[in-house]
This record gives sequence, structure tokens and C-alpha cells, in this order.
Amino acid sequence: MKKSKRIAKYIVPVVIVLVVVLMAAVPSFTDPYKVVLLRTILMFAILTLSWSLFSGTTGYTSLATAAFYGAGLYTTAYLGDKLPLPLIVVCGGIAAFVLALLMGAITLRLKGIYFSIFTLSSVELIKQILHWYEINIIGVRGHYVTRVNDVTVYYVLLVITVLLMLTIYLIKRSRYGLALSSIGSCEEAAAHIGVNVVGLKVLTYAISSFFIGMAGAIMATAMLYIDSYVAFDLNYSFFPTLMAIFGGLGNILGPLVGAAVFTYLREILITKYPYHYMLIFGTVMVLTILYLPSGLIGLAQNIWKKLTNPAPEKGLKTEGGKHADTSC
Amino acid sequence: MKKKSLLLICLIACLVLVLILVGCAGNKAGNNGAGNNDSNNSAGQNDSGDKKPLPDKDKIVLGGARSLTGPLAIQDQTCFGPVYRMWVDEVNARGGIYVKEYDKKLPIELKIYDDTSDMNTMINLLKKLMIEDKVDLLLAPISTGFLHAAAPIANEYGYVLIGAEGGAKELESMMASLPYFFSLLNYATHQAQPFVDMIAEAGIKSAAVIFIADQHGIEYSGALVPLLEMAGIRVEFSRSIPQGVQDVSALIEEAKAKNVEALLCCAYPDENFKVMSQCMESDYNPKVMVFGPGICLEVFHDIYGEATEGVMGWGAWNEKSSPEMADLAKRLIEHQGGVRNVDWWGQAIYYSGLQALEQAIEKAGTLDNSVLRDVLATETFDTVIGKLWFENGGVPAECYPGQVGQWQNGIFEVVAPSEKATAKPLIPKPAWPAQ
Amino acid sequence: MIAFINVLVNGLLLGGIYAITAMGLSLQYGVARILNIAHGEFIMVGAFLTFVLHTKLGINPLFGLAVAGPALFVVGYLIQRILFKTLKDRTPTPAAFEGSSMLMAFGILFMVQSIAIFIWGTNVQGYSYLAYSVYLGDIRFSVNRLVILVISVLICLLFYLFLTRTRAGKAIRAASQDPDAAGLMGVDINKMLALCFAFGAMMAGFAGMLISMVFPIYTTMGMQYTIIAIIVVVLGGLGSIPGSLIGGFLLGIFGAIVSAKDPGLNMAAYYLLFMVLLLVKPSGLFGR
Repeated sequence: MKKSKRIAKYIVPVVIVLVVVLMAAVPSFTDPYKVVLLRTILMFAILTLSWSLFSGTTGYTSLATAAFYGAGLYTTAYLGDKLPLPLIVVCGGIAAFVLALLMGAITLRLKGIYFSIFTLSSVELIKQILHWYEINIIGVRGHYVTRVNDVTVYYVLLVITVLLMLTIYLIKRSRYGLALSSIGSCEEAAAHIGVNVVGLKVLTYAISSFFIGMAGAIMATAMLYIDSYVAFDLNYSFFPTLMAIFGGLGNILGPLVGAAVFTYLREILITKYPYHYMLIFGTVMVLTILYLPSGLIGLAQNIWKKLTNPAPEKGLKTEGGKHADTSC
Repeated sequence: MKKKSLLLICLIACLVLVLILVGCAGNKAGNNGAGNNDSNNSAGQNDSGDKKPLPDKDKIVLGGARSLTGPLAIQDQTCFGPVYRMWVDEVNARGGIYVKEYDKKLPIELKIYDDTSDMNTMINLLKKLMIEDKVDLLLAPISTGFLHAAAPIANEYGYVLIGAEGGAKELESMMASLPYFFSLLNYATHQAQPFVDMIAEAGIKSAAVIFIADQHGIEYSGALVPLLEMAGIRVEFSRSIPQGVQDVSALIEEAKAKNVEALLCCAYPDENFKVMSQCMESDYNPKVMVFGPGICLEVFHDIYGEATEGVMGWGAWNEKSSPEMADLAKRLIEHQGGVRNVDWWGQAIYYSGLQALEQAIEKAGTLDNSVLRDVLATETFDTVIGKLWFENGGVPAECYPGQVGQWQNGIFEVVAPSEKATAKPLIPKPAWPAQ
Repeated sequence: MIAFINVLVNGLLLGGIYAITAMGLSLQYGVARILNIAHGEFIMVGAFLTFVLHTKLGINPLFGLAVAGPALFVVGYLIQRILFKTLKDRTPTPAAFEGSSMLMAFGILFMVQSIAIFIWGTNVQGYSYLAYSVYLGDIRFSVNRLVILVISVLICLLFYLFLTRTRAGKAIRAASQDPDAAGLMGVDINKMLALCFAFGAMMAGFAGMLISMVFPIYTTMGMQYTIIAIIVVVLGGLGSIPGSLIGGFLLGIFGAIVSAKDPGLNMAAYYLLFMVLLLVKPSGLFGR
């Protein structure tokens, strides 16, 4: 048991490194559309990882991802032709960072479902006010964004992903990470043993949003045209949450795998079965949540456990395995 | 121990990555150019690049990213959707389109993807269609905003894109840089002038404008308000409403209190229908009512019945416009299993756009989009709405079968401009039917 | 001034719809702990059932009360029994259940909407019913909104009486306050939860029926009503029936006042009101 765990611990980083190297090399040997698809996967991977960095560890389900993403998009919309690309990306991150600091500071008192609803409506509020302001005060009708080619966007997203994963890894390793997970398990107790609960929460929220903002800023250059309804789309709040749960929480790989499988599945459905996409998608979602409560990674761990430790652990595995086959 | 080694691995990973990136950054510049050339090439090559041994082709693939689900899906089913499906069936029933370079008739295969009303998805799918599936022809996505994003992409990959639902005057300024994009639907400016002329002639003195807060609303209110003022019609207010608004009765109350004679609502079906209902509920019956998209749909008459009498909307064409259009309406209804689901603004125009595309292919004798583009930009086509040609990437006003329509006895009559009118405008509109 | 009073009256009348939209969700979350994102889809189904009855069979839309409500009651009961109960048995903690039940509701949203699109398409539909006004002095009441107000208040009242006066209602309340103790006292918790979810779906059916009488309907409209419902529920306090009623009226009147100033900010004002209230009093106006 312990041995297998140790092996697993070594395997994970090695696999990650291999995957990253592979992904960096992808544009040079595949057709350009694969890059576009991988780009979408990376974008969702960033959103999902960032989401799980805060919500996965602290247990506060944030639905404001779309707001931070939109903040990034809008940064590019306004600064796109004024600054060089790397600076814009960082600016997008900072915009989201500041927004998250603000939102975090305001929502300190809220817990559980109230926090989720508040963050959800913040997306809509920003969308509506921005829209009203642009239409009625400055008379703008959407923004054109200078285009950057797909390969560049892809690399920038890849770098952001790696940075994000490193950040998550370092945070989890540090005292800071321990304090964070203590909030997740019992906030009062954490406060009692001297953890600065408030500061920690807000800071983590802001850090995780920083990456979402960066992803938004670079994705804007692939979207060409942005208005507030495009930028602040609630789907970008729901999808990362779903992807993270789909992949499995509590492990850095979970959100990653969730984002990749989820995006790929969706891609197949909307192209192969456009008229039945929603029905199949909904069914897969319901079955996943019923039969894979700990996500794809949970299933993989179960199988791993079974392989290394053939003690009979009945239940979930057999049924779950079936679905994993269909979704992978 | 473990901690350290793990960290080490990660750091090494980082290093490797940075190295690769540096390597790629060098390549990238080259790649960029190559990528662009590539796309240019592929557009050409996929159709005519290898001149001599043309790969045998047995069908024309017509691809499109359309919103089959999500908020925009309303439009696919009522506007362009029935038209392109019927057109494909009709062409295939004729055996296909004759393409000279293959010296045979090629049937059309539709390849429709669902963009779920999400712009990013739409862009990805368009790229998939162009890069991976290498479709021969492209259909436009739904809505003005999406067209804004799709036009430059189609242009970059050298695909002809003929607009459908949506079209913005604003794009006109960019037309020079978008040679492959052709806007099909009427601009706000086309419609505002004949409308204002008509109501000014009828002696309307005051107006109020409600517009939806997006490109469509801004464009229409922006075109209408100055014209109204120039014609000496007082504009009492011009207010925006957000998408998905529930209650507009406050605006109607205000218009009623100010005794506004013409109510102009530049919004989408959902909001237009709400304004209509709430005008009826508040017993407010202005002399002129004109609405944006939605009012031109047959379903509007299904919902409101007699109350539609005298209500105006942008458009328009109907069975009386010409024998060809009467036939088109008949076929559209038949193709939908006898359901009278017709859009009396756009469908004749969309159909003409497809006819123009078909004729362009026949004239060009090739599926090479760059040749098609030149043919489309220069030639004149015989379509169901009459002669159709493109000027500056858009359709000139005289091609349209009408600019303003009005419901009269259950028919969406063309009332402006007067030379295309199928009926005299009914101003003031009659009272709401008694309950 | 009269115009402004008319605006207020309109808002008040609209509040009835908001209230009944929210009540179902409030029940589902307050007792069954399911934040039912698919609530709006049930409303949509209710609206379309009424629409079909009215336009195809010529039956009075008010008859939808007898059809849309019970139909959705059955659907809701089955969904809770088959899906959510299984999920509840499989999830270890209540907190985990809240998360995963929302995810499942999302899946249900997709399925319901997809099936509705197969059947009814994506076209905007509707019908015109009692679209005229009656006057009381200078103040104007739209008849259909008046009918809606009366019906929604009646339904609220009846349901409130059901919860407070009947045995089943008391069991439901007990289950919501302390499921374990209620279970020990011989209340069949699972049945109560299923009943609650079913009642919530039934309310959605009623709301759909009322909405179809005044607003255009289409198969993709669900989400906008879900969001309104969430706002009202939090405004009034999760799980509180009178809270939903009053929250609905508040939102209606508030929306009307904002619309009179600048309709462009209508939606923004909803969210602002709601977020401020969340900060000041997270448990809602009538929350426990």
C-alpha cells in the first residue's frame, strides 16, 4: 500500500513533465486545428485548476470565474493595441486579481450557498452595469481585438498552465497550503490555532483569479470581437466547476483531467451529434455524478488500489469502469 | 527527502519547458509566416491548387457553425435554418450544382455543428470546418456579434462568407479589409429612411424609441432618431432595455402619459413580444407601432391574431410581392410539413443569397473560393427577389423586396418604399380588438 | 403621478409571478437541500404544457393548474426518488450532497431542455390572454396580471396552510428543521424529501402556467427564471414560504421603480439589491 503510494507520487510529476513536453511540441507536428482544440482545453484547464485552488481546498464554491475571465478579456479589449502582448496578459491577470481582492473582501461574511450565489450574481451585475455604461454613456458597441495567431496563444496558455501548476504545487507544499486546507476542514478551528483565515482566503482567491484573468486576456486575442454579453457568460462560471467535480477534487490532476475529458467530450458531441448534444451531455453528467462521485481521478485511484492491493473492494468500481470507458 | 526530489523534478520540468519555449520562439516567427502561408495555400490548394490532377469529387460540403441550442437557437429555427435546409434538398433533388472543373453535377452535403450560442465555440468550430474538415463552402453563424467575429476568420482562411441573420452597418467600414465577406440583410439605414418618410407623410408628430442594449438596438436607434428629428417628429425619449428584461410597462406608461404617436421598438422577438403584450394590457394604442425582428414572423400573427392589425415591422416580402416569392413561400411551408413558419423579412433574402452562391459556382465553374469571391463581387444574379448584386460587400437598397412591412388582415404587407409596396400603409393603426 | 402609481401597481402585480417562481425553489432548497438549477426548465415545461392545451385544444389556460401542476408533481417526485435519493445515499456528507446535487440538476437541465427542443422547437411562442385593462378611478390594472396575482397569492396561502395545519405539512417542516430527530419520531424522511421536491416542481408548473399568460415563451428561457427565483429566494430567506411571497413583491415593485428611472439598469438593479441584502442580512428578510 505505502509502496504503491510512493510510486504514485513519483509517477505523477514525471507524467506531468512528459505531458508538458509533449504539449509544447504539439504545434510542430499536428494539423492547426488540433492546436485550436488543445488551446480550448488548456484554457478550461486553467480556469478549472484556478477554481479548484481556491474552492477545492477551502470549500467555498465560487461561481465568479466568468467575472475574472471577463475582466481579462476586457483588459485586452481596452489595452489590446496599446501594449505588447506579454504586458497585456499580465495586466489581465492584475485586473482579475484586483477584482478578486475586492470581491473577497466584500464577501468575508458569507458562507456556503450564500457565497456561491453572491459570486454568481456578481458576474451578472458586472455584465449589466458594464453593458449599460458602454451603450448609454460612451456609446460603444463591442470591441475589436487585434488578432494573435493560434500557435502563440497556445504557447502563452501552456506557460500559464505550467506556472499555475507550479504555484499550486508550491502552495500545497508550504505552511500556507496547510493553513488553507485547515480552513477547508474547519474554519473556526483554523482561526483558533492562529491562522489568519480572512487574509488567507482573500489572498488565495486573488492569486487563483490572477491566472484566470491572464487566460482571459490571451483568449481575447483569439476571439476578435468582444462585448459584455460574450465576456461575462455564466457558462464560464459553471463549466470549470463542473469540470473540476467531473475530474475529481483534492488532487492536482483531477481538474486537469476533468477539463480535458469534458472539453473533448463536448467537442465530439457538438460536432458529431449536434442535434442530440444536450441530451447526451446531460445524461453523461447525471450518470457521472451518480456513479463516479469522486470524479474520474477517484475512479482511477480505485482501479489503482485494486491493482496494487487486490483485496476485494466491491461496489463502485465495476459500474464506474463502464462509464469511464465511454467518457475517456 | 521526497519533498526535495519532487521539487527538483518540477524545476527540471520548468527548465525543459523554458528551453523548448525558447526553441519554439525562434521557430515561431518562422512558423507564423509559414502558418499564414499555409492557410493561404490550403484555401487555394484545397480547391484548385493542384491544377492538373483534380481529385475526384462526388459532393460539395457545405459547413456551418449554427446555434442549435442556447439563447440564439430561436433564430436558427425561424430564420435561416429552414431556408438552407430546403435549399440543400432542392439542389440535391435537381441532382446538384454543375461544376465545370469536375464536369458533373455535385450534390450538397450539409455539415452543421452546434456552437451552443457561445462565441468562442463558434470560432473554434469555424476553424475546424475550414482547417480539419476542409469544407467547400461556409454558412454564416447567427447574430450580428458572431458575424463580426466570423468575418475576419473566414477572410483569413480565404472562405466566402455570405451573412445571414444579422448584419451591421458598422461592418461596412471594414469591408475593404474583408473581401470574402458579403453582408446580405438590410442595414438599419436602408429601412429607417423609407419608414420615417412614410410616417412623416402621414402627419405623425411625436415618437418614442425603445431599443435593446446591443449592436442591433444601437444601430437602429442611431439611424432612426436623427431622421425623425430631421423630419420634424419630436422624439420624446430614446431608452435602452437590457436583454431578458421582464417588465417594460414603465416605458409604455411614460409613452402613454406623453401621448406619443409612434412607438418604435428596436429589439429582439422576446422583448418585442413583451412590449406588444404590455401595450395591449395598458390599453395604449399609438398611431404607429414598429418593431424589430420577430414581428415579421408568422408566429407573431399566430400569437396575437387580430391585434396584429396595423402593427409594423422591418422586412418585408410576401406572397403578393412576385410570383417567385409566392412560390418560395409555398415551398417553405411545404418543406416544414405544412406549418406556416415563415419569416417575412429575411427568408426570401437568405434564399437569394444561396441562389447567388449557386449561380456563382456555375459561372465560375469551380469551387475555388477566391474565384467565387470575384464572381460574387462583380456579377449580377437572378434570384427570387429579382436581380441581386453586391456593392461594397453589401446589397444595395433597391434589391430588397421591401423595407417596412405591416400586418393587414393576416398578411405582412410591404408598405414602404412605395414602389415596392403591396398595400397602402394603414396609419393610424386601428384600436386593439375588444375583449 | 398617476403614471407612477400605475408603474407601481404593475410591479406589484408582476410580483405575484416572481413569488410563485421562487416558492418552488425555496421549498426544494430549504428542505431537500437541492439547489435546483433546473427549476427554470420545469417552469418552461409548465408554460409549454399550458400553451399546447390552450392553442391546440382550446382549453382555458387557467386549466393548466389542473394539468401542468400535477404533471410536474409526478415528474419531480420521480426525479427525486430515482436520482437525488440515490445520490444522497451515495454521498457521505450533506455539504458534498449540496455540491453534487447542483451538478446533477445541471445535467437534468440539459436533458429537460433538450427534450423540450425536440418536441416544441426553439421558436418563440405564446398566446394572448385577457390582455386588457380595468380601471379603478385613474389607476389601471391589467386583467391578466390581476388574475395572476390572485392565483399566486391563493396558491401561497393554500400551501402555507398545508404546511402549518396538516399532518404531512408538519412532517415536512420537521424534516426540514431536524431530519434526524424527525426520522426518529417516525417521519419517513425520504418520502418527505421526495414530496418536497415534487411540490417544488408543481410550483414551477404553476409558475410556468402564469408566465405563459403574460410573457412570450421559448424552450431556452429557463435559466432567466431560475436566476430570478434564486434572487427572490435569498431575498425572502431560504425555505420560507411567506418570505418568497414578500420577496417576490419587493422585487416586482423595486424593478418597476428602477424601470421608471432607467429601464436599461433594470437587471443591474436586481442584482445590486440582492447582493447588498446578502451582505447586510445573508439569511434573507425572513430567514431563520
